[in-house]
Amino acid sequence: MNAKSLIKRNYKKHPEIDFPDYKSSIFRAPKNRKISFPSSNTEIIGPIFNKNIIGKLDNDLTLNFSRNKISPLGHKIIVYGTVSDQFTNPIEGALIEIWQANAAGKYLHNNDENPAPIDPNFAGCGRCLTSSTGYYEFLTIQPGPYPYPNRGIEWRPMHIHFSIFGKSFGQRLITQMYFEGDPLIKLCPMLNSIGNEKAKNSLIGVLDTSRSNTQNLLAYKFDIVLRGIKQTYFENRKEGL
Amino acid sequence: METIKAKLDETPFQTAGPFLHIGCMPNAVKINKIYQNDLGEIPFKDKQENELITIEGSVFDGNGVALDDVMIETWQCDEKGKFNADSGFARLIPNNITKKFTLKTIKPGSYKGFDRKTHSPHLSLSISARGLNMTLNTRVYFEDDELKNDPLLSIISLDNVNSLIAKKIRKNSYLFDIFLQGDRETIFLDI
Ligand SMILES: [Fe+2]
Repeated sequence: MNAKSLIKRNYKKHPEIDFPDYKSSIFRAPKNRKISFPSSNTEIIGPIFNKNIIGKLDNDLTLNFSRNKISPLGHKIIVYGTVSDQFTNPIEGALIEIWQANAAGKYLHNNDENPAPIDPNFAGCGRCLTSSTGYYEFLTIQPGPYPYPNRGIEWRPMHIHFSIFGKSFGQRLITQMYFEGDPLIKLCPMLNSIGNEKAKNSLIGVLDTSRSNTQNLLAYKFDIVLRGIKQTYFENRKEGL
Repeated sequence: METIKAKLDETPFQTAGPFLHIGCMPNAVKINKIYQNDLGEIPFKDKQENELITIEGSVFDGNGVALDDVMIETWQCDEKGKFNADSGFARLIPNNITKKFTLKTIKPGSYKGFDRKTHSPHLSLSISARGLNMTLNTRVYFEDDELKNDPLLSIISLDNVNSLIAKKIRKNSYLFDIFLQGDRETIFLDI
């Protein structure tokens, strides 16, 4: 029989959950160790989303909320890359949802207390499904950095939030992409909650000059890797794994 | 047992932050003109009201405060133990007045897993929010089911194993509170 299992997570390459420099984690991060167990179907299978949920402008944040095709303020960027698994296999049909602040660093959200203006032509919401080669692309505007209450007022580096579904509920990933060269990156406690330098750097979108120089926008490349799923063949073994 | 070695590291998590609704449930925060429906609004759309169960609860932080800025995702099989494209998926946020989330879904069946073991009926659940640097995962079982042979529940010897079991509060209704910290901290899983 064919058994599937997820590659174990390497927590050294993820953020620390309990990280007091990020104040909100103090009363929210669980204190006990997670229970490890051999995941089964509920974790290994996951929801698969149909192409027909995606609208034509869903991955164009410069138009999907604009009135009379007026561009939102700020400079346009393309954010693109591929979604693959840990074995380098591209993942087709992965759902990527993004959200971000506008050029002034303001979210279109009641809980955002930043005294910066909203942009009536920008919601900061987009999604797409990856192609057969795992490729995705968003057209949007450069999000601004923004102040938030942490240890006093601190500033978030420019970033875009990403939520990704692969093929498996256990591959589910929520993360943020940062922008190459942003001086706020090294000050960010959320990013610094990742101890491993290489892992941290993998969240920084890289400026693609070749593409930026041929179109009237800046291009950033951000590749995403989801957990690998192993297939193992078992012969008449009573206890499975 | 591991025959093929992984070549790449998984992309690290970052917190979903306080504004996750914009990207994941825009209609819930009045961004209505982009997506027709929020994803995971109604699981098992073709089922009748009388076939559904309700699971409700709150998510409490370490101060005992019920949160209203968390997003909960659930994923489950159907009553026969079969997983279908996306109909077993739901997304929930707590009501901002009652601070309770309410899931209307069908009761999942048990299934024989890839591990060849029979898993008691359960949902897989994930929690994302500001203050959580990684999404948390757990399972929801039901107290009126046969649970003692379940491969997960049977390896947990902790007192708080009950934190994975929804309590029956009415006919077809269950309570499942989630405690992020404290004496009753929910068991979270390394799935
Ligand atoms: Fe943000």
